[in-house]
Amino acid sequence: MPTEVERLRAGMRVLSSAIAAVAEATTDSQRLLETLVRQAAELIQDTCIVLLKTPEGPTAAALYDPDPVLLEELRGLYEKPLAGAAITIQAMQSGKGAVFPTLDLEATRSHVSPEMYATFQRIGLSGSLIVPMRVQGEPYGALTILRHRQHHRELDELDLEFAQDLANHAAIAIANARRVDALRENEELRHAKEQLGRANKFLDAIIENIPDMVFVKDATKLAFTRFNRAGEELIGVSRDAMIGKTDYDFFPPEEAMHFQGMDRETLRNKVLVDIPEEPIHTAHGKRWLHTKKVPIVDEAGEPLYLLGISQDITNAKHHKQALLDAKDRAESANKELEAFSYSVAHDLRAPLRAIDGFSQALFEDYGERLDDEGNRLLHRVREQAQRMAVLIDDLLALSRVTRHDLSPEQIDLGAIASNSLAQLQRAEPDRVVEIQISKSLSTVADPRMMGIAFDNLIGNAWKFTSKTEGSRIEVGQLHKDSERVFFVRDNGAGFDRQYAHKLFGVFQRLHTEREFPGTGIGLATVARIILRHRGRVWAEGEPGKGATFFFTLGDPEAP
Amino acid sequence: MKDKIILLVEDNQNDEELTLRALKKSQIMNRVVVVRDGVEALDYLFGRGAYASRPSSEIPQVILLDLKLPKIDGLEVLRAIRADDRTKLLPVVILTSSLEDQDLIKSYGLGANSYVRKPVDFVQFVDAVKQLGLYWLVINQPAP
Repeated sequence: MPTEVERLRAGMRVLSSAIAAVAEATTDSQRLLETLVRQAAELIQDTCIVLLKTPEGPTAAALYDPDPVLLEELRGLYEKPLAGAAITIQAMQSGKGAVFPTLDLEATRSHVSPEMYATFQRIGLSGSLIVPMRVQGEPYGALTILRHRQHHRELDELDLEFAQDLANHAAIAIANARRVDALRENEELRHAKEQLGRANKFLDAIIENIPDMVFVKDATKLAFTRFNRAGEELIGVSRDAMIGKTDYDFFPPEEAMHFQGMDRETLRNKVLVDIPEEPIHTAHGKRWLHTKKVPIVDEAGEPLYLLGISQDITNAKHHKQALLDAKDRAESANKELEAFSYSVAHDLRAPLRAIDGFSQALFEDYGERLDDEGNRLLHRVREQAQRMAVLIDDLLALSRVTRHDLSPEQIDLGAIASNSLAQLQRAEPDRVVEIQISKSLSTVADPRMMGIAFDNLIGNAWKFTSKTEGSRIEVGQLHKDSERVFFVRDNGAGFDRQYAHKLFGVFQRLHTEREFPGTGIGLATVARIILRHRGRVWAEGEPGKGATFFFTLGDPEAP
Repeated sequence: MKDKIILLVEDNQNDEELTLRALKKSQIMNRVVVVRDGVEALDYLFGRGAYASRPSSEIPQVILLDLKLPKIDGLEVLRAIRADDRTKLLPVVILTSSLEDQDLIKSYGLGANSYVRKPVDFVQFVDAVKQLGLYWLVINQPAP
């Protein structure tokens, strides 16, 4: 048995180390408790427990017994908050400790759980003490010592004093640690607030600079709580005037009703609502919006806010309408052109036939009664009627080129050129023209359109070389700036390059009818065909040295 | 050859006169029946209206049909001719001013035997009529 002095010394050691620990332990109160409990338990060679006050009742925060097996068992028993721990609670609240040198185990039965009682009985609990842990009258918990090893002496007042000193230090440690925790929490909170503030500013900057109107309304009153710059500009009202107000304060009643109806629907269904087109009356007049409304809900899924994003589609809508109108006009113009062409083909030709036919009849039946001049004039009437018929046919061909849909396919332009030449040769079998057509002129284009284009280009070359010695026509291609350029070249009459820009206009002629006959529609037709193939056409020439017509072909299927 | 009738469906008086002149100049002496709109053409062919008393043996050897006609147009007349057992085998030559793709396609689609565009040049017109007469009245063997 240790002497009283030895007990005091050992007690002092524990206390002084407890004081040192408290001084150090400002952050980890749990480790401090563990240390204290362990040192106390080792000193008295029995069980020591620290119970902390919690809303659910006193709960073991640290517990120690030198016997590791028993320690585990006790930890299990003290895992949950203690129910009906009347003595502990009384000690905490009164601030007074109590020592029970001998314990009537039977009397404690009603205060502890059956499992606990069974353990106490087995280990032979014979005494205990309990001291409160308080700081400035505030109860933090209690420290308990359980005496059950039979060879030990009974607990006495000295033990109670030691225990109380230890408990006081533990209480201070816990109070300090809690204060530190609170401070740290405050610091963290402040830090979090700062971060939140920064994140908010960032979001504000984003929302502010979104070119569409962005607004937020609270879910109950549907009053504006946020409004960005684009919104201010669109509505023509400053955000200060908007915030806290509702749609009814700014827009006509039916419009406000529509906006809020959509808001309510969004909040009720809790899904994004897309409104492709809605009118809004702003300070600058009526505009059209494409609006998306999004519900913003809390953790429980209850709507808090309504987020709205509205794009001003007024201009796009006008453009679209203008396009549609233009398309309508183009279509009706095209229909008119169809009808006009049909009537030209039928009705304008009929009188020409009559003029020509009856002139011929006059010549046949009465030619003998007319003198040479009379016959010449009659001949001129017929000639001009026929010329007008050619003009009509050429104009019809030109309009057909504009009206008909393209059906592009893989074709050989060389073969098409040969075909045009063969027709001309058949009409004038005696003419000798040197022909040169490149191979590999295959491309993708509308065969019929290209046929018409080559009829005109080759026809021109044929015509304008009719007065040339050793006339020559060449069809080929070259590559210029990685672009494929086709050409039809002749060594015929050529043209003055200062009139080159006039070549492709309707009825534009650089030669008199007497020099070279023609209607002035052929190259206009060529230009339209090339244009419809998204290509370009141009010409080079010199009087008396010939002309070259160049063209490129784009993607004819591109819209 | 005299009993081979040519039915000319033509509303334009000038064209009628010129066509008749062209036939005459081509030495085609067949009887030419001229009707001046689509209704009259069908009345003649089916022995209706003014032609109710027409002898049924009088069937034209060839029909020269204009497309643009008052009341019922040429394409409709052609459709009616091809839809009736009495006339469905008759040779029909479209004789018109039009060179529109749609008219050509529709005409052949409805069973036209030939499509001729009236040339403005009367000499060419006479030549065309001459060849038509030669082919349909002499060379071609009609259905029995």
